[in-house]
Amino acid sequence: MKKEDTVKLISAEGFEFVIDKKAAMVSQTIRNMLTSPGSFAETEHGEVTFPEISTTILEKICQYFYWSLQYASGKETEFHIEPELTLELMMAANYLHT
Amino acid sequence: MGGACSRKRDPLANEDTSNRVGPSGRYTKSSSSKWLGTSFSRAYMDAMQGKRNRPSLINLCIYKIREDINKYSTFSMLPRDISQQIFDDLVYSHCLTDSVLEAFRDCALQDLNLGEYPGFDDSWMDIVSSQGSSLLSVDLSGSEVTDSGLIYLKECKNIQSLNFNYCDLISDKGLEQISGLSNLNTLSFKRNNAITAQGLSFLSGLISLIKLDLERCPKIQGGLVHLKGLEKLESLNLNCCNCITDADMKALSGLTNLKSLQIASSKVTDNGVTFLRGLSKLALLNMEGCPVTAACLESLSALDALLYLNLSRCNLTDDKCEKFSKLLSLKVLNLGFNEISSAILVHLKGLTKLESLNLDSCKINDEGMVHLAGLSCLKYLELSDTEVGSSGLRHLSGLLNLESLNLSFTIVTDGGLKKLSGLSSLKSLNLDARQITDAGLAALTNLTGLMHLDLFGARITDSGTNCLRSFKKLLSLEICGGGLTDEGVKNIKDLTSLTLLNLSQNNHLTDKSLELISGLTQLVSLNVSNSRVTNNGLQHLKSLKNLKSLTLESCKLNADDMKKFQSTHLPNLVSFRPE
Repeated sequence: MKKEDTVKLISAEGFEFVIDKKAAMVSQTIRNMLTSPGSFAETEHGEVTFPEISTTILEKICQYFYWSLQYASGKETEFHIEPELTLELMMAANYLHT
Repeated sequence: MGGACSRKRDPLANEDTSNRVGPSGRYTKSSSSKWLGTSFSRAYMDAMQGKRNRPSLINLCIYKIREDINKYSTFSMLPRDISQQIFDDLVYSHCLTDSVLEAFRDCALQDLNLGEYPGFDDSWMDIVSSQGSSLLSVDLSGSEVTDSGLIYLKECKNIQSLNFNYCDLISDKGLEQISGLSNLNTLSFKRNNAITAQGLSFLSGLISLIKLDLERCPKIQGGLVHLKGLEKLESLNLNCCNCITDADMKALSGLTNLKSLQIASSKVTDNGVTFLRGLSKLALLNMEGCPVTAACLESLSALDALLYLNLSRCNLTDDKCEKFSKLLSLKVLNLGFNEISSAILVHLKGLTKLESLNLDSCKINDEGMVHLAGLSCLKYLELSDTEVGSSGLRHLSGLLNLESLNLSFTIVTDGGLKKLSGLSSLKSLNLDARQITDAGLAALTNLTGLMHLDLFGARITDSGTNCLRSFKKLLSLEICGGGLTDEGVKNIKDLTSLTLLNLSQNNHLTDKSLELISGLTQLVSLNVSNSRVTNNGLQHLKSLKNLKSLTLESCKLNADDMKKFQSTHLPNLVSFRPE
């Protein structure tokens, strides 16, 4: 995987998730950060830090990105959400426009 | 008898019950109740073609919360925009109950759209009130809320929009409770039999009001004087307040910001209309069913901003109609169901901004059509039930912007239809007339943009259906003249955009037709009544997953067959007959 095809998402605790750029772009917010020229340092480094999103939630979000790509390509499976994560996940999803 | 008789499609504006129609009403043409044109109800149908998208993570979370809703005791720690989305979903899915509602106490919600929500009564108002100064809009229409329930709104000083349509338990006293909500800009209480002029006196302090809807309030006469100080008022609906008289119009004469005034089916006469002369911003005036004559045009000619005028079902005659020529700003004019003749059309000749003209059931004939020839902006022309015939149509052949033309129940014949063949903007054409046959349809194959074609009573046979192949964009089609067999339906099976198909009254159609239709998976409404369709044929309709309405009256199957089929294969079917 070429470096420019991936992005690094960093959780509140500093945990790093390296994922396909294509997957991260499922989030409208991340897409804006990575594509608006000059306005974000993130564009250059391919790194985004989320000081408000915990590792557990960010992991779940990354899972969703990949699930979403699969769904769009016709593989309509169910996306499981643990009940205890729901509210926090929803807040993060709201922030990420996804 | 699923539409065995030809129907009129222009119901009274006063019967606008769009908020009250059951699910079945939404998919039939007769639900079109807007007087501005039929295009609105159709736009709704067209919008339903949208594709299903992948679910967003927010929505997946919302579904999950809904599933486990009883596990949550409060949402007040969530940011408002999140709790609002959860609330809206629970309302939409009818999962909000007394106990679930409690979790939304102090959530600072902005909008409580609880219109028609089952179980909503005064006991819920405490939670409504707990949203405090965040609350911006409340819809409690159709609820059991009473005057005492409205006391709770006093603390919600920032409310901008309040709707208590169809609330039978709210009276003048209730209006007193909300008299201090000076930020209200929208207030609606349709069909309230208890509110009187005294109640309206409590509205005098609502100085921010922009929109006020009092439709079907039969006891408010004399109360409009209390609105005099509401200088921001732009829209006032008094439709079907049959108590309203000329004196009430006098009370409105100073509301110079009014842009929209609806007084359909009131007692207002020409004299009352004179009080409206000073409403220089008035753009919409609906006087359908009022006892006014063309003499009122004298007053209306002072209204330079007037765009929409509805004078259908009034007492118009040819007398004094020359004043129509002064209404130069008009875009939409409805003159349907008046005793006017072709002689008045010369006065419309100069209204070159007209986009919509309704002459339904007037004594209009071919002679008058020449005066419409120059109305080149016309998009919508309604000539149903007039004496217009083939020779009049040649004057319409230059109306290249025409999108909708209704010639049902006219005396137009096959020979005249070729005059329409150049109207390339046409999207909707109604030729529901017995004398129209295959030959007439053959003259229209150029009209490839047609989306709605009504040949209800026309005598179309199998050979005529060959022409239908030209109309690939068709969303709705009605052919109910009795001349079709399964052979003809073969030419319909490739019209894959169809959402509404009515083939009733063709009593030679068999199960074979249903088999041919099975590929029309966009269908939302299907009617094959009065045919030889049997219970065995139903199986072919399994694939029509978008179907909401299915009518098979007077066929060889019974209500039990239908019920069984619906519950096994098409649970989304909301209306089916026989039932």
